[in-house]
Amino acid sequence: MPETEKHPRRDVPQQAEFPPNPPSAYVELGLATCFSFLRGASDAVDLAVQGWSLGYDALGVADLNTLAGVVRMHVAAKRVNVRPVIGARLALVTGETFLAYPTDRAAYGRLSALLSKAKMRDVEGRWQKKGVSDVTLDDLADHAEGLKLILVPPADLEGFEAALPRLARRLPALTHLAAAHLYRGDDRARINALERMARAVGLALMATNEVLYHAPERRPLQDVMTCIREGVSLAEAGPRLAPNAERHLKSPQTMQRLFAEWPQAIRATREIADACRFDLEELAYEYPREVVPEGRGPQDHLEKLTWEGAATRWPEGIPPATRAVLEKELAMIGRLDIARYFLTIHDIIRFARETAQPPILCQGRGSAANSAVCFVLGITAVDPAQHQLLFERFISEERREPPDIDVDFEHERREEVIQHIYAKYGRERAGLCATVIHYRPRSAIREVGKVMGLSEDVTGALAKTVWGHWGSGIAEENVREAGLDPTDPLLRKALLIAGQLVGMPRHLSQHVGGFILTEKPLTETVPIGNGAMADRSFIEWDKDDIDALGILKVDILALGMLTCIRKSLDLVAAHWDRREDLATIPREDPRVFDMLCRADSLGVFQVESRAQMNMLPRLRPRSFYDLVIQVAIVRPGPIQGDMVHPYLRRRAGEEAVEYPSPGHPHDPGELKSILGRTLGVPIFQEQAMKIAIDAARFSPAEANELRKAMATFRSRGTIALLQEKMVGRMVARGYDEDFATRCFEQIKGFGEYGFPESHAASFAHLVYVSSWLKCHFPGAFGAALLNSQPMGFYAPAQIVRDMREHGVEVRPVDVNMSEWDCTLEPVSSGGFAVRLGLRMIGGLASEVAARIVAARDAPYETPEDLKSRAGIGAAVVRRLAAADAMRSMFLDRRQALWEARSLRDAPDLPLFREARDEGAEVPVALPAMPVCEQVVADYQTLRLSLKAHPMTFLRKSLRAQGYASAADLARAGQGQRLKLAGLVLIRQKPGSAKGVCFITLEDETGVANLVVWPKVMAQFRRVVMQARLLVVEGYVQRDVEIVHFVAQRLEDRSDALTRLAPGGLVPPLSHADAVKNPVQGSARGSGAPANGHPRNARILPPSRDFH
Amino acid sequence: MTGGDKLPVLAFRAPHIAKARPRAANPRQLARAAEALRQATGTAPEPRPAPAPGPIPAAPEDSFSPVGIPRRRPGPAAAPPEIRRGGATGGTASDDGGPGARRILSLHLPRFAVERWRREALRRDEAPPDDLPFALALEGAQGPVIHAVNPAAQALGIAPGARLVDMRAICPELRAAFADPRGDKAALDRLMLWARRWCPWTAIDGTDALVMDVTGSDHLWGGEAAMLEEIAARLAGLGLTCRAAIAPTRGAAWALARFAPGLCAAEELATRTDPLPVAALRLDPATVRTLDRLGLSTIGALRAVPRLSLARRFRAGLPEADPLLRLDQLSGRMPEPVDSPDDPPRFAVQARLAEPVLDPLPHLPELTRALCAALAAEGFGARRLALALYRTDGEVAQAQAATSRPSRDPDHLLRLFDGRLDRLDPGFGFDLITLAALVAEALPDRQRRLDHAAEDADDLARLIDRLSARFGPQTLTRPLPAPSHIPERQVLWRPALHAVCRPFAPRLHRPLRLFEPPEEVQVLYAVPEGPPAQFLWRRQRLRVARFAGPERIAPEWWRDRPGTRLRDYFRIEDQTGRRFWLYREGLLGDGRGAEPRWFLHGAFA
Repeated sequence: MPETEKHPRRDVPQQAEFPPNPPSAYVELGLATCFSFLRGASDAVDLAVQGWSLGYDALGVADLNTLAGVVRMHVAAKRVNVRPVIGARLALVTGETFLAYPTDRAAYGRLSALLSKAKMRDVEGRWQKKGVSDVTLDDLADHAEGLKLILVPPADLEGFEAALPRLARRLPALTHLAAAHLYRGDDRARINALERMARAVGLALMATNEVLYHAPERRPLQDVMTCIREGVSLAEAGPRLAPNAERHLKSPQTMQRLFAEWPQAIRATREIADACRFDLEELAYEYPREVVPEGRGPQDHLEKLTWEGAATRWPEGIPPATRAVLEKELAMIGRLDIARYFLTIHDIIRFARETAQPPILCQGRGSAANSAVCFVLGITAVDPAQHQLLFERFISEERREPPDIDVDFEHERREEVIQHIYAKYGRERAGLCATVIHYRPRSAIREVGKVMGLSEDVTGALAKTVWGHWGSGIAEENVREAGLDPTDPLLRKALLIAGQLVGMPRHLSQHVGGFILTEKPLTETVPIGNGAMADRSFIEWDKDDIDALGILKVDILALGMLTCIRKSLDLVAAHWDRREDLATIPREDPRVFDMLCRADSLGVFQVESRAQMNMLPRLRPRSFYDLVIQVAIVRPGPIQGDMVHPYLRRRAGEEAVEYPSPGHPHDPGELKSILGRTLGVPIFQEQAMKIAIDAARFSPAEANELRKAMATFRSRGTIALLQEKMVGRMVARGYDEDFATRCFEQIKGFGEYGFPESHAASFAHLVYVSSWLKCHFPGAFGAALLNSQPMGFYAPAQIVRDMREHGVEVRPVDVNMSEWDCTLEPVSSGGFAVRLGLRMIGGLASEVAARIVAARDAPYETPEDLKSRAGIGAAVVRRLAAADAMRSMFLDRRQALWEARSLRDAPDLPLFREARDEGAEVPVALPAMPVCEQVVADYQTLRLSLKAHPMTFLRKSLRAQGYASAADLARAGQGQRLKLAGLVLIRQKPGSAKGVCFITLEDETGVANLVVWPKVMAQFRRVVMQARLLVVEGYVQRDVEIVHFVAQRLEDRSDALTRLAPGGLVPPLSHADAVKNPVQGSARGSGAPANGHPRNARILPPSRDFH
Repeated sequence: MTGGDKLPVLAFRAPHIAKARPRAANPRQLARAAEALRQATGTAPEPRPAPAPGPIPAAPEDSFSPVGIPRRRPGPAAAPPEIRRGGATGGTASDDGGPGARRILSLHLPRFAVERWRREALRRDEAPPDDLPFALALEGAQGPVIHAVNPAAQALGIAPGARLVDMRAICPELRAAFADPRGDKAALDRLMLWARRWCPWTAIDGTDALVMDVTGSDHLWGGEAAMLEEIAARLAGLGLTCRAAIAPTRGAAWALARFAPGLCAAEELATRTDPLPVAALRLDPATVRTLDRLGLSTIGALRAVPRLSLARRFRAGLPEADPLLRLDQLSGRMPEPVDSPDDPPRFAVQARLAEPVLDPLPHLPELTRALCAALAAEGFGARRLALALYRTDGEVAQAQAATSRPSRDPDHLLRLFDGRLDRLDPGFGFDLITLAALVAEALPDRQRRLDHAAEDADDLARLIDRLSARFGPQTLTRPLPAPSHIPERQVLWRPALHAVCRPFAPRLHRPLRLFEPPEEVQVLYAVPEGPPAQFLWRRQRLRVARFAGPERIAPEWWRDRPGTRLRDYFRIEDQTGRRFWLYREGLLGDGRGAEPRWFLHGAFA
């Protein structure tokens, strides 16, 4: 799965003015953008700006068999006051190429449907491969009504003339023949010949330059793209490249000069452009009709549902304050006409809650989600009235943008919701958004290097210097750092071209969960193509395109923690007979907050990472709103803005809470209303925005620009300009410059990984629910965590360890006791023990486990018995034996394995059931298996061991050498020097920590948190990255309840692990390890939790890649 | 045989007489059958009499040769089987021809791929220092994956199978190149043939090892220990690290070569192999892990388990999952012969003359015919010939000839030596003449045309051969198309003898003759882009009557110097009807120089 990290979308500079051009005599209609993948070498912005400066008033865009780039062209062209003429370049499977321009909305729908057909079904009607489109002449003829078709002649005209009459007959919409003057030497003769041919069949000539890039300087990039496409190097590409740089956008005057002999060809372009008036803005969005019952208005229906829901939430009567809020919100929804949006989401949620069996847990979040309406409709479980989360804060009437609600579902069951949507609205009316995969600096330099003949060593060294970031390209010092000569001309060219390639789209992929639903067939709005996976199809536009056109989108996301919470609640209901759900769990339970204050949060949503665990004892959350802050504060935004420590000091009462105020005559308390909730420190994205509006007097338009700049970190120029504006205005109004700068820094931080209050509130609710479960039902919560793997931050071994530390008995996997899932078993002393499930055994299929459980009416007595009664293969029995799951048969691992080996897969027929034919079994005395080998085998088969910790076996020797354990560390004093050894659990290098690496070590007594400063890191880099058993020397650093161990010398002693057992031990790393699973760049604020399902966008503070 | 990476070329060998290969029987099945038979009869197999040396039996090869005894091989290279161990080292007294009497050498080349790459790089003078970590990589699903490493990289914990980017992150100074597994395989094939210098029964064993049945060969090298030394020294000379062991069975030799190199006598087989880990049994990792979990982690522990118990538990279909089979192969209970492939065919003929002659020419036709007959019998044609004339005083005169395509036409081949022997000093005369096809390629028989007319391509090839033979291969060149738009870069001239002819893509509007270099002309034209109206060339004033163009050819930005200007080519016809190809270099105001200059680049017919 490729990283779906977003590339900052380029935009036309905001400052510049683009007065409209007068109508030009010529309109370029053969324009390919970079969405003609590896053909077009310029993006929409460059083409539009260049087109405007050349004097065009309209530009036709025609990408090869796609409409993926038209929205960008539309946006960019509108911005520069150029009218975009929307079309496509259609290459038929038989080789003929046409430019197709729809004249109106209906014709556009047909063009889109034609492309959808070509992308979803191949010529024979089978499932089309991803990225292929097969357009046939018949299809084109069927969909050609209302299209202006322009035939593009092939390079070699032989046979073309003979084929022309047939095409003209078949396609009545075909009116023109394209002619290009490309300095091929015979252009004049060629155009004359084309004109003769065209006239013979009643067509007209149309001039085009078949534009591939906006300016001649882009030819090198286009050549390189051609080579990448063809898989050849530049030296061997030869005739596959264009001989010259003439396929750039030429001015109307130049084109008129070139076609001076054929003025009718120039006139034709103008006529076609004038005839094709279709504008993408005509794609008015229509909500699906199903969500509103017949005969009712959407607003009516929403109000009815709202008051019904409110009555259920407050059976004893709606509090008057809430009633007022609801009325206010409904009025606002009415004004913005977005009732159907809420109804659509309500419909999906109702499916998950009521129709799906068993119900699927879900929760909404996003700007509109924290409204009282959403609360009473059941979309969220956060009561906004209780937490002062006001709707207006999240919806602005001026912007008139569709509201944003993301809905998280249990990650194991999101597919059911998606299939429900497809089933309800049909594949023609529902589609997933695309994500555009762009060239990243690393892939760009690799591909360009390959084409230009640089060696793998050189490209590898260059790629390595790029720190996985956008936009920066590769600076000269990086090149020098890589030991290469930046003045080398070939290298310079390669870097230049790679810099241009960065950000070019490479292919389309499927978005994590953005659905668009329409009333009319979606294929008539946008082409739908197939994904690489079976049964996946997605539209050609991405989220931003959808937003740009004002089309509504619902994010159907997957959240592992919801799965875990649902499973915990089920266990609690089954064993404690206590039915709870997200909304009914007792609020503000002090024991839960006590637990969190101890940083005892392993497995808890969001606050289980090491950074969050460090923050918990300092922030000491005592209420729900503290959790909202806790979730939001450990983020790059507040950290970069240096807001964390002021907040902590004020919270601890070490610093007075004061509000920066403007000078006279402004209202000195203007920030108090914004920052009151957070002790005068801006923590949430909205607060920073509000400061810009109130304190820096940004107009709504300026604020919007700032918001966009925050969302997509734009060019440094824009940012610097905005900074100057904001800081300057704040200082001018009497604010402290330092405060103003910090506010802006924070906005910049949000820009990369923002975290709005509404998201924080939704997440904080899940934090509270999961903490409550962990606090009161540690066994059930732990079992549910194990049953929801893979998810979260920690590996099963750590989850089991944490359960045992909380006094939960954990029992091993056993074929006679375990189900597929981990279960709870009553203990004689009262309470429940966790029985590990068969799912813990690596490589075991759930159907096999189901068979074992189903046939277990009496205990299995021998492996033979297990095999025959459960009807499973000998290989499965061996796997179970290897996992030591046969203790209840009085067989230890070795003996069980020995017995299981002798089973064989014979057909289950009477004749074969008889005794063996080789003779009697001879008893063999196998050597007893030492515990250390048992533990290693446990790790190999289960990824954890209940028998002992691997470090136990080394402890004696370690102690003799003077090593301390993790437990000793907890007792050690500040500054004490120690030697430690342990298994590496997690290595992290957060981007906000300026090169500091955090390592978590584990031994049999507990975990130790190492801090490796950059200097030490540089010295022991290889050890840090490779060691699984790490030996450290350093000193203790204590702060509040947090103990850090500052490493000064590290050593890789993984070799000691190989001595435990013949095969050696490879301890499992945590999911979040940054070395094993580098988290590059990562997604921003909106997204599902960390590192669970690959489809989930990540919201962890991203750790920079180690490479 | 292409140039480039060549491990040693084989010494010249006598002609090979073609013969059907014996039908390949599955040695495993046969071995099992023999095993069953032995168990049934309860006796050891009869000591087999060693096959007598001497002439090849008429048609013995169709029957299967006895297991464990190498097939006899024609030619003088086959050592007479009676000659067993010469030296005293490591020899055993038992010489009964049973499996215990064999001596198998396993030669493991643990760094073959890396060392071969390094050898190549040294030749190009590009090898990195030996103490820098270096890895060979293969293209994997997610970027390059390490395939082989050098000792420096291994010391840093870089192992095959890891992703190259990950390892670069760990070790930034890691150098890497792409591996060439097919090249490695071919090189190992050549090495295998070359290694037959020590023992003819040599075969490839996996991707990085050779196996030799050295029974009876070691005495030629002064005993087994000396033989191992010789092998190690020779391979070290080629830059190859090796670990070798000689043991009575192939399995034991394999195990020892990797885990405890050295010699192993038959009677110490068990004591030497028992302490080795079960991985030494050529088992797959899953089986090794299972055995480890069962506590059977050494060969000795495994041997102590009753056969029946093992057989019942490991009856996998594949040998690498069957420890009992591997154990039997190790102990010699299950024979495992070295199946050494035949040498590739080699062609050479010789004429021993009773009396020294001063002029060898009259003997050549006969030799050539004989050689061609041998080539025809195998379906081969010669690409390179070597003629050696041995003078009575021991001097050798050599002449070589090459053909552009394989040929076995005696007349043609003979003509290639025309005039090449004139200046030889015969001394007191030649008494031995040899003619060999150094390089031969398959040349299947083709249907001739009914009228027996030779085909044009053949005629051209013969002409090329003869001219190249007469004037030297460098003098005769032929044009090949080159990938470029720049006219003078569209043609490469390559020695005709070795060039593989490729057709030129049909290109319109190119003059028959190009001037090299283009000749500058003074042109009158309409600025900026107009066609030439009149120009001065070689002091003639030519008026342009008609023109076509321009055809714009931009510089190749990746190889031309910065500032190179584009060219606008015009085809023009002057008032007398002569046609030329003119170009203007650059455009006015392209920022790459002043006034554009004009050149006449070619003339049409």
